[in-house]
Amino acid sequence: MAVREILCYPDPRLKTVCDPVDELNEDCDVLVQDLLDTMIAAGHSVGVAAPQIGVPLRVAVVDVSSSKLGRENNHGQLVMINPEILEQSGEKTMREGCMSVPDYTGNVARAEEILVQFLDRHGECRAIRASGFEAVAIQHELDHLDGLLFLDRVSSLKTDLFRRKKR
Amino acid sequence: MSHFAITIIGRDRPGIVAQVTKILFDLGCNIADSSCTILGGQFAMILIVSHPEFDSLESFGNAFEPLEQDGLSVFTRILRPGGEEPPQLQGQLCLISVYGSDKPGIVYPVVKELGDRQINITDLNTKLVGPPERPVYVMMIEAVLPPAILLEELAEAMNELKKSLQVDITVRDITPVEL
Repeated sequence: MAVREILCYPDPRLKTVCDPVDELNEDCDVLVQDLLDTMIAAGHSVGVAAPQIGVPLRVAVVDVSSSKLGRENNHGQLVMINPEILEQSGEKTMREGCMSVPDYTGNVARAEEILVQFLDRHGECRAIRASGFEAVAIQHELDHLDGLLFLDRVSSLKTDLFRRKKR
Repeated sequence: MSHFAITIIGRDRPGIVAQVTKILFDLGCNIADSSCTILGGQFAMILIVSHPEFDSLESFGNAFEPLEQDGLSVFTRILRPGGEEPPQLQGQLCLISVYGSDKPGIVYPVVKELGDRQINITDLNTKLVGPPERPVYVMMIEAVLPPAILLEELAEAMNELKKSLQVDITVRDITPVEL
């Protein structure tokens, strides 16, 4: 149980494709607890992925239940081990920021609704359908597991509106 | 280290950015912050640059002359110490969309309401869109509300303007989500 330091880009560990967890052993449980402690200690944070604390494994935690945008529509605290997005639909653009990329925000278009499958902390296979802010937060955290930052996903500059193709 | 603001504007064509940045690169300048875009048929560049040794405009010599010869206008000024530091603006970030049939006098009444309330504009774009016979004016403003001002209060003020200006205005929160 420990609050870990959040790594910031250009730390190369943030650009690494993480390995799946083979076995839900004690080490894995410690990692999960560290992620939760770190997320909670960060106050405003709604998710942390293992590579953000320097562990190259496919584990992330998400909890949007106490944020203004996610309060009404969420699955509570999610511990996601080896998560995979099975289905996605719709599009939602939010201006995202990331603890690992301080002082920069950008508009990112992501799926509005996702079906995501993962192992929970106890090794149970779960599949949930998330939408809205929770879906955005999950996609953001899962990107970390593939070494992707929101900077790789920025969809539009502020003036994008004016760049529509001429008919 | 001294910082300089450089603005460059001229008829748009491919290669302007490369031409400008090659000069800065050869001089040994760092581009700290920049924004470049097309406005009308012009390409406009605004840059904050620094140089470890330059301490006055004279340091640039005639480096920008080739740009002037190619039809670009270059303006350079030196920043006072600290002028390169972005302000730490605390408060709700909002986006104000203003649009309606084009007519004179849309921008000022809107931004006056903001200025009167000490609302800090961080970005503003205007564009004339639509067919020439029925042009539509679009203005997008990004602004930071001082802590004492609520979004609802601004929305209320904009509602009044909607009627008097006969334009559509929406105000919404765009505070970034930290993930």
